[in-house]
Amino acid sequence: MRRALLGLVLIAPACATMGVQVVSMRMAFYSDAISHSAFTGVALGLILGLDPRLTMIVFGVLVGCGVLIFARKSELSSDTVIGVFFAAVVALGVVVVSARRGLGRYFEGVLFGDILTIQAAELWAILALAAAVLIFQWLAFNRMLLLAMNPPLAHARGIRPVPWEMAFGILLALLVMVALRAVGLLLVTALLVVPGAAARNLAKSAAGLFWWASVQALIAAILGLYLSFAWGSATGATVILICVAFFAVSFFFRGLKGAK
Amino acid sequence: MSVPAIILENVSVELGGRPVLENLNAEFEPDCLTAVMGPNGAGKTTLLHAILGLVPHKGHVLFGPERREKRPRLGYVPQRLELDRGSPITVRDFLAAVQTNRPLWSGIARERDRQSLASLERMGVGGILDRPIGKISGGETQRVLLAQALLRRPEILLLDEPAAAVDVSGEALFCDILEEVQNELGITTLLVSHDLSIVSTHARNVICLNRRIICSGPVSSVMTADNLRRVFGPHSDIFNHSHSHTHPPA
Repeated sequence: MRRALLGLVLIAPACATMGVQVVSMRMAFYSDAISHSAFTGVALGLILGLDPRLTMIVFGVLVGCGVLIFARKSELSSDTVIGVFFAAVVALGVVVVSARRGLGRYFEGVLFGDILTIQAAELWAILALAAAVLIFQWLAFNRMLLLAMNPPLAHARGIRPVPWEMAFGILLALLVMVALRAVGLLLVTALLVVPGAAARNLAKSAAGLFWWASVQALIAAILGLYLSFAWGSATGATVILICVAFFAVSFFFRGLKGAK
Repeated sequence: MSVPAIILENVSVELGGRPVLENLNAEFEPDCLTAVMGPNGAGKTTLLHAILGLVPHKGHVLFGPERREKRPRLGYVPQRLELDRGSPITVRDFLAAVQTNRPLWSGIARERDRQSLASLERMGVGGILDRPIGKISGGETQRVLLAQALLRRPEILLLDEPAAAVDVSGEALFCDILEEVQNELGITTLLVSHDLSIVSTHARNVICLNRRIICSGPVSSVMTADNLRRVFGPHSDIFNHSHSHTHPPA
């Protein structure tokens, strides 16, 4: 329980803060594609006899890099490129799993999250990743904002789009792969997007957006863990339900403020 | 011409396998406003992006008397910002982000705020510092964009149809502000515009572009009916008129 709490307390705010850029850079579909590649990453690990947790992460980062590079070089829209990669990785995973009997039982944890089985070594990795996210947010928050608002303006300011967007994409892919340990493949994009969406209803500035998203995600993580114990429900999904409840409350308060 | 601020040597740009700019050779006079005019698809924005170093190009874009390839401090005023109206990012946030890499979530230094406010007041919009940037008007947005470009004390200012989303009187007001800034600071300025009245009123020089340079030089000698037909097509012509106009209060 303690390890699960620590893991969630590190992952949830990290996702919420990166989620601020996911929304402004319109990358929700990208993070969805990365999360779904976990299915294939685990399958490849199992058939190759490698640690599926490692192959899942490596495969996810490779898919992320592939999408970013292809989207930049191709004339297709980024949505189309992501859609093609999404289809390819999911189809590959289904082919692998369907061709080898007995693999299906490994995927429940991938689909729904399995934070309660987290090991001490994984916690260290999560801590390192959360630190990397914090460092990135210190160095890149303003740069990513300007890149989202107008890339030529950012370029005139001395911000090179390619290295920052690649760094963001790779870090996001790593975070998605680790976060789905907590909330599962089906809901990891929600952990990125929903706290930021709720924060938009309450924040009056960029700083407000950042801190409201982080604090809401943190509270949802702690409350979700304890409620899931009380209800006997999946921890990850319970955390997301709390996030959605926060969004509903914030939307209500924003509506009240607008009516005054 | 005194030593040029920007020199284009055989600059060509291809995008998606299609030539957008072909073999441009030009020099931009320093400390004054040069307009870049042309029809839609002429490559005006691409020219600005080549000067910014944002698009790969053949040939050379050189700067200053030393004819160096290293870019000086550039200020850029785009047409618009990509931001949805519901975003809580304020004008204060935007201007602070332009000035510093210290993350906005760690707070904005008072000195940055002071400089942001001073820059907005020079544009006549000091009262909008705390407004969400997605909720200010088109005219206010353009003045904020000019304010952010000037905050870095640029050596060269590039404006890409800055008043495209603004009405006629707003555009005239914006150009008056730009001219005041130009006269006060003496910055080399490139203004992309297809508005002939703005160009003839505010620019000293003009470059007429339609993938290639059709004509260039002082406005008084270049802006002839014949040249405009060569740039915009056979249906173009000049109608001279005089009128008095007043600007709405800021």
